[in-house]
Amino acid sequence: MREPSALPWEEKMKKILLATGLVALMGTSAMAQQIGVSIARFDDNGLTVMRNGMTSHADTLDGVSLQVEDATDDVAKQLDQINNFVASGVDAIIVNAVDTNATEAMTAAAASAGVPLVYVNRQPINMDTLPDGQAFVASNEIESGTLKAFEVCKNLRAAGKSGGATAYILMGQLSNQAAVQRTKDVEDVLGMDMCNFITVIDKQTAEWSRDKAQDLMTNWLSSGEPFDAVFANNDEMAIGAIQALKANGISMDAVQVGGVDATADALQAMKAGDLDVTVFQDLAGQGSGSIDTALKLINGEAVDKTVFIPFKLVTPDNVDEFIAN
Amino acid sequence: MADKSHGIGGLSFDSSKRQWPNEINVFFALILIVVIFEILGAMVMGQSFLFDSNDRFDSIFNEARLRIIILQVAIIGIIAIGVTQVIITAGIDLSSGSVLGATAMIVMSFAQVAEVNGNPNPKALFGPAFLDLPVIIPILVGLAVGTLAGVINGALVAFARIPPFIVTLGMMLFARGVALWWSDGRPVSFPTETYGLIGKGMTPVYIFIALAILFHFIMKYTVYGKHTYAIGSNEDAARMSGINVARHLVLVYAIAGMLAGLSAIVITSKNLTAQSGMGFTYELEAIAMAVIGGVSLFGGRGSIIGTVIGALIIGVITSGFTFLRLGAYYQEMALGCIIVGAVALDQWQQKRAASRS
Repeated sequence: MREPSALPWEEKMKKILLATGLVALMGTSAMAQQIGVSIARFDDNGLTVMRNGMTSHADTLDGVSLQVEDATDDVAKQLDQINNFVASGVDAIIVNAVDTNATEAMTAAAASAGVPLVYVNRQPINMDTLPDGQAFVASNEIESGTLKAFEVCKNLRAAGKSGGATAYILMGQLSNQAAVQRTKDVEDVLGMDMCNFITVIDKQTAEWSRDKAQDLMTNWLSSGEPFDAVFANNDEMAIGAIQALKANGISMDAVQVGGVDATADALQAMKAGDLDVTVFQDLAGQGSGSIDTALKLINGEAVDKTVFIPFKLVTPDNVDEFIAN
Repeated sequence: MADKSHGIGGLSFDSSKRQWPNEINVFFALILIVVIFEILGAMVMGQSFLFDSNDRFDSIFNEARLRIIILQVAIIGIIAIGVTQVIITAGIDLSSGSVLGATAMIVMSFAQVAEVNGNPNPKALFGPAFLDLPVIIPILVGLAVGTLAGVINGALVAFARIPPFIVTLGMMLFARGVALWWSDGRPVSFPTETYGLIGKGMTPVYIFIALAILFHFIMKYTVYGKHTYAIGSNEDAARMSGINVARHLVLVYAIAGMLAGLSAIVITSKNLTAQSGMGFTYELEAIAMAVIGGVSLFGGRGSIIGTVIGALIIGVITSGFTFLRLGAYYQEMALGCIIVGAVALDQWQQKRAASRS
C-alpha cells in the first residue's frame, strides 16, 4: 500500500493560491503571518515527515499560512526561492538547506531585507556568525547515542550485572559523521561512574547493514566470549545482531540490544521482545518547532541561536505509542 | 628436444612445462593464510583460530567459526559462480550487485506476510491480494527478474557489440535506479514464514555448494562449458569452428543474471527485509573472489573451484580480522594487497612456465 498523498504540485498550487489570497488580505488582517518554506527535496522520506509536521502544525495555528517550495536538491534554485520570498514580502523564511556550505548567501539575503530566517534539520556552515533574527532548529545528534547507551546501562544494573558486564559496538560507515558521533556517545556514557562497569570487548563496522551485522555478530559469537549487551549505531544493525543471536540459540532475555531510528521493523522487533532500546528522531517535531521559532522571531521575542528538539527514547513500555503513529 | 616432439606444425608436449593446476596454488595460499591467523591467534589472543582451544565443541574444530567463514561469503559466492563464467568468456559483469538490489525489492513485495505481531503488516507495499502468497511466486519472480537483466546484458554484448564493461556498467546504474524507484527508497520487510526458511541458518551455504558442484561439472564436462572456454580463449576461432558465439554469450550472461536473482532471494530471506542499497559493491567482491581464485580477466582461464577457494580466502580473512579484533580499515587494506598479490604471483608463474623451454 503506497502512502496516499495529494500530488505535490496540486498541494503547492493550493498553497500558492491561498498565499496570494492572504497577501491580498494583509491590509485588513494585521494578524496573518505569511511564512515561506524551502525544503531541500520533497521525495526524501525523513524530510517529508518534517514537512508534514510543519503543515499540520500551521493548520492548527490561527492566521499562519505557509508557502512550501521544493528546492529539488538544487542550490541555485533554493537561493532563488529565498529571494522570491523576500521580494514578495513574507514575514519569515524557513530553510532546509540543500547544501549547508551555501547558507552564507541565504543569511545575507534575508538579513539585508530584515526578514527573520530559520534553518531547520541541517546545520548551516555560518552557525557561529548567524545575525540576530536568525536561528537553527534541529535535534542534537549527541542525544541519540547517549539516551540509548544510558538506558542499556540502567537495564543492566537492574538485571544485577553492575559487578561487571561486557558489550560489543556495531558501527555504521566509518566515513559517516553520525556513526562516529553515536559510537563516541556510547563510549562517553560507558566512561561515566555509573556505567563504567561495562567494558567494550570489540567495536567494528557493519556499514549500517543488517546483513553485514548478522555476519559480524556471528563472527563475534564464534569466539565464545560471554557478553551482556550490543550497542548498534542504527536499528538495521541491531536487528541483524538479534537475528544472529537467535540463530545461535541465545536467549534475548540474556542480552540487551540497543539501536537508533525507531524504524517500523525495529518497533516490531521490540514488540516481539527482541529489541530492548531504540531512539526516535522527532522530525515532525523539528518541523513544528521551526514554525514556532519563526513566529517568535516575527514577534521580536528572544530566541536561542540553536533550538534543540529532543530525541525520544523508545522502550517496550512506550513502543505502542510509536507503532500507532 | 626432438624426442619430446609429438605433434605436427610445431606443436609439442613438454612434460617439464606442465603446470600444477592453478587451483592447487590458490589452495596453498588459503592454507598459508589460515596458518598465519593460527600463529597470530596463539601469540596475540591466546587461542586457536580454527581449532576448539576452549573445549566448547564436541569436535577438534571451532565449528561456529568454520560455519561463519563460509556463511558470510555464500551469497556473494552464488553471484561469483555466474561472474566466473562471464569472465571466462573474456567479459565482465559489473551489474550483479545492483541486479541483486533491484530483484530484492521486487521479490520481497511478493513475499510479504499479512500480519506482524497480530497487526497488519506496516510495510505492505501493495494491496492484500499480494500478501501471504505461496513461496513459489516470489522465487519465480526473482529468478525471472534476474534472468531478464542477464538476457539484456547478453544481447547488448552479443548483438549490439557494445563492450561488456559499458553494458554492465549501464545495467549497474539502471538496476540501482529500479531498486530505489520500486518503493521510493523505503525498505520492504516482513516476509512469510516459509519464505524466511530459504536463507535461514546454513541454507545459503548448501545452496552455494550445490550450485558450485553443479556448475563445476557443467563447465568441465559439457558442450556449454567447452564453448565458454573456447570463446574466452579466442572468440574468432570459436566462431570459425562453428560455435554460435552470440547465442552462447546471451546464455552465459542470462545464467549470471539468474544467479544474481537467486542471491537476492537468499539475502532477503536471510535478513527478512529488502533495502534499496542491498548488494552495493557485491559485484566487485564477486570479481575479487574469481580473480583471487585464478580466473584470468583476459578470458579462457579459470574454474569454479578456483572461485570457491577465492571466496573462502575472503571469508577466512574477514573472520580472521574479527578474531584478532583488528579494525575494518586494515581488513580492506589487506584484501587490496591480496588481490593484487594473487594476480602478480599468477603472472610470474605463467611467465616462468613459458620461459622454461
